[in-house]
Amino acid sequence: MKCEHIAELLPDYLQGSLSPEQHHNVEAHLEQCADCSEEVVIWEKLSVLPVDQPGPASRARFEAMLQAYQAGRSNQPVDDSHWRKRASAWNWNVFHWLRSPLGAMAWSAALLAIGVFAGLRLAGPKPPSPDLAAMQTELASMKQLVVLSMLQQQSASARLEGVTWSTRDQQLDPQVLSALLHTLRYDSSVDVRLAALDALSRHGRQPQVHEAVLDSLQLQQSPLVQVALIDLLLEWRVPDAAQRLEALQQVANLNPTVRQRVEWARSKLN
Amino acid sequence: MLQVRDGAGETLGVLFDRYQTPLFNFYTKLTGDRALSEDLVQEVFLRILKYRQSYRPGTPFRAWIYQIARNARIDHFRKFPPQTPLEPEMLPPVLPVDSAQEQQEVELLQHALQQLSEEKREILLLCRFQELKYEEIAALLGCELSTVRARIHRALQDLRKAFHQLACDTMRKKDGTAAAEYIPPRGGRHEV
Repeated sequence: MKCEHIAELLPDYLQGSLSPEQHHNVEAHLEQCADCSEEVVIWEKLSVLPVDQPGPASRARFEAMLQAYQAGRSNQPVDDSHWRKRASAWNWNVFHWLRSPLGAMAWSAALLAIGVFAGLRLAGPKPPSPDLAAMQTELASMKQLVVLSMLQQQSASARLEGVTWSTRDQQLDPQVLSALLHTLRYDSSVDVRLAALDALSRHGRQPQVHEAVLDSLQLQQSPLVQVALIDLLLEWRVPDAAQRLEALQQVANLNPTVRQRVEWARSKLN
Repeated sequence: MLQVRDGAGETLGVLFDRYQTPLFNFYTKLTGDRALSEDLVQEVFLRILKYRQSYRPGTPFRAWIYQIARNARIDHFRKFPPQTPLEPEMLPPVLPVDSAQEQQEVELLQHALQQLSEEKREILLLCRFQELKYEEIAALLGCELSTVRARIHRALQDLRKAFHQLACDTMRKKDGTAAAEYIPPRGGRHEV
């Protein structure tokens, strides 16, 4: 038997799926042919390559991603279990964040700031309230810094986490707001965009959020985000909702599901 | 998987425990980059959540997850084309094995594997490490079963040649070093 014939049988020989006769023929060839038998040896040697283990933070990162995904997707009315879930998501995120290098840096800086302010407060006769306010401002700006830098990470799950972090504050900082709007418009991941939309929808009462979010409707290509935006149009009772929906309906290559949703939304408006 | 598909997010944890190491190894051996591999594993599970409705019951789950894994990698490199060719330092650290010779073989094999084209490296990883059946690989790559067999054979041929070449180079280098060590000092006299 020649090497060309063996080439056809060798892969099955390696997986042990040849008939006894073919198996015998291949073995007979291998005894004579150094090249072919070396290939079998190499195949067997591949099993000595070590199995790499992922880093210890991998599981925590997965949990954080899962929680962030569920938090971003959840549009359920607020109830007790919802808050419990959010609390456990928060615990996971804090835990994960503390272990990350970024978290370690931010916390070191925060501890330093606390130390400096505590030192100044103990040493100086100044009234405590301005210091405390300054410390709070310092911590708030540090938190914003963390959110902003997480939103610029390359990994989608880190950006998703950044969006979830931005929902911790009742008041949105203008810089965080603009970063979230940028994420909603241009982020490459649909999930991150959806999470950003969810985070922004909490601040729908602010007129500038209102306008900017709805203006992004024309930019979106993903049907999921488009549908979420249409729902938001209805929820916010936007005065010019009908015009916006009509404009969207004019788009030539609109996804059929989105088109259906637009029609449904228009019927709700009338 | 059916439970995940029907919305039980907790069940995804079980899948994560089962598949994170094989997927991580698929990526590290393919890209040689641990940090990127960890990111891609996370991306695979995010995609499982997103596209869980597209899983058809009764079809092999392993093939489905590797389909997602391949796409995640392709999408990543489409967005961020690799800037530099694979550096040896980026290769995963070689764990201590029984003997020095075995350790050297592991190193040579890893380097030989990285010298293959990505397509050949991938097919070897899928059948040897991820233990996918040839039929599953054919479905995954969208080609005939005979093509899979031929590609595996060609990949193995190339791996043998690369390994052989590297082994020869190492031997030559060793001989050179050994010879250099035995060169007698010039003049044959040492000053005190």
